[in-house]
Amino acid sequence: MRKTLPVVWAVAANSFMENVRNRFFTLFAVFAFAAIYASVLAGVMAVDQEARVLSDFGLALMELTALAYALFNASSVLLREAETKTIYLVFSRPVPRWAYLAGKLAGSLLTSALMLAVMGLMHLLLLKLRGFGVPPAYAWALVGSLLKLGVITSFAYFVSLFSTSAVSTLVISGIFWTAGHFAAETRFLAEQSAGAKSLALKAAIWLIPNLQLFNARDAAGAAAALAPAAFLSAAAWTAGSYLGALWLISRKEF
Amino acid sequence: MRRLALPAAALLAWAAGSALSAAAYRSPFPPPSEIRTPAAGAAADMFALALGARRLFADVWFIRLMQYYGSPEFHDEDDAEGGLDWLKPKAPGEHRHHDHRGLNGEGRYPEFLTRARHVLEIDPNFTVAALYGAGSLAFNMGRTEEAQDLLRYALEYSPREWKYLNVLAAIGYSKANDPAAVAAAIAPMLKDPDCPVMLKQQAAFLNKKIGSYAAAAAIYADIAATSRDMAYVRNAERELQKLAAALSAGAPGPRKTK
Repeated sequence: MRKTLPVVWAVAANSFMENVRNRFFTLFAVFAFAAIYASVLAGVMAVDQEARVLSDFGLALMELTALAYALFNASSVLLREAETKTIYLVFSRPVPRWAYLAGKLAGSLLTSALMLAVMGLMHLLLLKLRGFGVPPAYAWALVGSLLKLGVITSFAYFVSLFSTSAVSTLVISGIFWTAGHFAAETRFLAEQSAGAKSLALKAAIWLIPNLQLFNARDAAGAAAALAPAAFLSAAAWTAGSYLGALWLISRKEF
Repeated sequence: MRRLALPAAALLAWAAGSALSAAAYRSPFPPPSEIRTPAAGAAADMFALALGARRLFADVWFIRLMQYYGSPEFHDEDDAEGGLDWLKPKAPGEHRHHDHRGLNGEGRYPEFLTRARHVLEIDPNFTVAALYGAGSLAFNMGRTEEAQDLLRYALEYSPREWKYLNVLAAIGYSKANDPAAVAAAIAPMLKDPDCPVMLKQQAAFLNKKIGSYAAAAAIYADIAATSRDMAYVRNAERELQKLAAALSAGAPGPRKTK
C-alpha cells in the first residue's frame, strides 16, 4: 500500500497536467466572457437585486462549466487511453488497476477543484468591480459544487467502462445529474402514489444520488452550511462508483 | 465468491450513501403540488429544478415580475372609452387629463399576485421578493387581502422572518387608515439590506404625509445614496430638494392623523 500511494499520486498528477494542457480547458475564458456579459445585463434588469443575480448566475455558471469539463474528461479519458494504447504502457509497469483508476479520478477531481477555485476568484473579482462584497456562504456553495462533481465524475468513469461511446456516457451521466436534483420531488411523488409506481419511485430514490444535499447555493443563511452527512454521502457514492468501475476495469483485458 | 466482492462492496457503499442522505435531507422547498406555473413558464421551472438552480430562476421570475409591474397596462375599455388617446402626442396648447396609470405603481396588474407567489414557490427564502410583492399589492394597488395571502405563504417557509410580520402589521394599520403607525411598522426594516426600495419610498412618503419631514428626508437621502434604481434615485433627489425648502421655511412638526 505504501509503495502504491506514490503511484496513485503520479497518475493523478499526470492526469491533472494533461487536463490543464487540454484545449477544452479554455472554458475558463468562456466563463469569464459570459459572466461579464451577464453582469452588464443584470445591472440593467435587476436594479437593486444586482448583487444577488450576479452571485446566483456566477455560481450556477461555474458549476455547469466545471461539470461540462468534468463529464467530457471522465467520459473520454479511459476510451482514449485504450484507443491510443497508452493504457497498455501503463499496465506493463507495476501499476495496479485500482491505483490507476484512483489516480485518474483524483486527477479529475483536482482539475474540477482548480476550475472552481479560478472561476470563483474571477467571479469575486467581478463582484468587487461592481461594488459588491463576498456573497454569504460562498465557500459552502463552492464546496457543495465540488462534492456534486466528485459524485458525478466517479459515476461517469463507471459508465464509461461499459458504454459504447463517450457520447452515450455523457448523455447517461447528464440524465443522472438532472435526476439527482429531483430527489425531493421524487420522494414527494413516492409518498403520494401507491403500488408499483410507489415502489419504482422508492427504488429511484435509492439508486439516484440526492444532489440537492450538496446544493448549498440554493439554501439560505445557516442552512447553507453542509452537514457532515453530505460529506459522508458524497464519499459513499463516490466510493460506490469507484468500486463498480474497478470491478469493470478488472474484468477487461489490457 | 471473490468475483462478487467488488460489485457487492460497490452496492453497499452506494446504499450507505443513499441511507445517509435519506436520513439527513429534508427539502426546504415547497412540494411540486404547490408550484403553479404561469403560462409559458414550465420550461424555466423544469430548468430550475433539473439544474438545482432555484435561486437563479427565482431571480429571473422576479425580474419578470418587475418588468410586468413596470409596464403600462392596456385595458379593453380603453378603446371603447377612447382611453388610448393618452398615448397620442399632444397638440400644441392642448390640455389633457393626466392619467397616472403605472407611474406610482397603481393599476390592476391582475397577474401580480400569481407571479409574486411563483417567485416564492421557486425560492421561498427570497425575502426581498415577498416584501416587494406584498408592499406593492398593499400600498400601491390597495389589494391588502392579496398582500396578506402572499405574506402568509412566505411565512409558511420562513416562520421566523420578522420583516414579514412587520409588513403584515403595517398592512393592518393601513386598513385602519393610520399612516403614522404604518410608517412606524416599516421603520425597523429600513436599514435592512433586504428592504426593497419601494418600501423605503413608501415609508418616506408616509413620514412626509404625517409631517415628519426630517425622518422623510433621512429616508430619501438613504434611497439617493444606496439605490441603483435611477427612477427612485431621481425621485428621492427631487423630494429632498422640496423637503429642504419646506424645512428651511419652518415646516410644522408631525400632524396628528387619527
